[in-house]
Amino acid sequence: MSEGAASWPLSLRFLHWLSAALILAALMLGTYMVQLVHDSAARFELTQTHKSLGITIFLITIVRLCWRILVSAPKPEPAAPMVLLAARAAHIALYILLLLMPLSGWLMATTTPVRVPTKVFSLFQLPYPLSPDIATFRFAHTVHVTSAILLAALIVLHVGAALIHALAWHDHTLERMWRTPRKAPQLPGRR
Amino acid sequence: MDARLLIRGMRARHGWIYRLAAILMFALAADGGRAAPGVQAWRIDETHTSIGFKIDAVGFPTTHGHFTHYSGRILIDFERPAKSFTSFTVDSASVDVGSPSFNDFVKSTALLDVEKFPTLNFNSTQVEKLDAHTARVTGNLTLLGVTKPIVLTVNVDTDPSSKGRVVAFLATGTITRSEFGMLFGIPLIDDALEITIKTRALTNE
Repeated sequence: MSEGAASWPLSLRFLHWLSAALILAALMLGTYMVQLVHDSAARFELTQTHKSLGITIFLITIVRLCWRILVSAPKPEPAAPMVLLAARAAHIALYILLLLMPLSGWLMATTTPVRVPTKVFSLFQLPYPLSPDIATFRFAHTVHVTSAILLAALIVLHVGAALIHALAWHDHTLERMWRTPRKAPQLPGRR
Repeated sequence: MDARLLIRGMRARHGWIYRLAAILMFALAADGGRAAPGVQAWRIDETHTSIGFKIDAVGFPTTHGHFTHYSGRILIDFERPAKSFTSFTVDSASVDVGSPSFNDFVKSTALLDVEKFPTLNFNSTQVEKLDAHTARVTGNLTLLGVTKPIVLTVNVDTDPSSKGRVVAFLATGTITRSEFGMLFGIPLIDDALEITIKTRALTNE
């Protein structure tokens, strides 16, 4: 990945916000359907939608990761080394969770004794290469739920950090994720 | 066109229907041999009939469903309840669990396999009166091509205002679906399936 561009390429900006919307939808839908939906038909339909969202997020994440290798990303705004390191760790953790969430969900869908075909937005059916196995299902379920909690916590951290950049540090970290900054960064007194 | 002419024309064109009806009537009359004096065939009031089921699961809400297409017969002998008889044939593709895609899944090979097994049947083999309002009906249920005996407890209620022309039945029972080869989801989905048949029988006599 080369660095130094003024802002994120339009394609990656678009994928970032599309992912953000889909991830929030999948997290909220997953929590809502499991905790609050007590009608079996509604739960069935919502679970199908949740699985479709998850697979879409997985595919978008793969595209984003490939795209980031190919195109130039902007250089991080100057900050303390620990802050830069924390940001990098958080971003890597986010990507890992964005892959782990759908993969563990798919493992749940394929190993559950209650195996229901996953038709991604009624377009294609997800393959189920493994046999139902309740121990593997329970493991996958634990990974899925734990990842969801970690992902939700990281999203709060990610949004909080973006707001600190924009509102407290007045740099372009947030701005360049949705447009090309009009002025060069002005950071008097900071590295 | 004059209605009589129309009917005459239809009769000429669809004479086979009338012949078939005649054969069926003859067959029903012959079947009346089962209905010895005192045994009376009742009409099923479809507006007050539901053939439902309920199944519990772990990590998934209880599923309630019913079948919308069926046919049935009820023969009752109030003096000798053991002579009574009932049978139901249910169109398995008419299952309704509340949403189109959930219905499609229940109809798939995982559960009802409706293409291979288009009907479910129940034929009573024994009717025992337990008390004035309760009977125990034993019969054979055919599900997924497997026939096994099941027992239903039936509440019988006559509507006093109907002068004995309306009888309400509430039949409940539990079947062990694995006995019929329906293994999907066990143990996360219960092996026990509760069935509830509500119906009303009418007579003109």
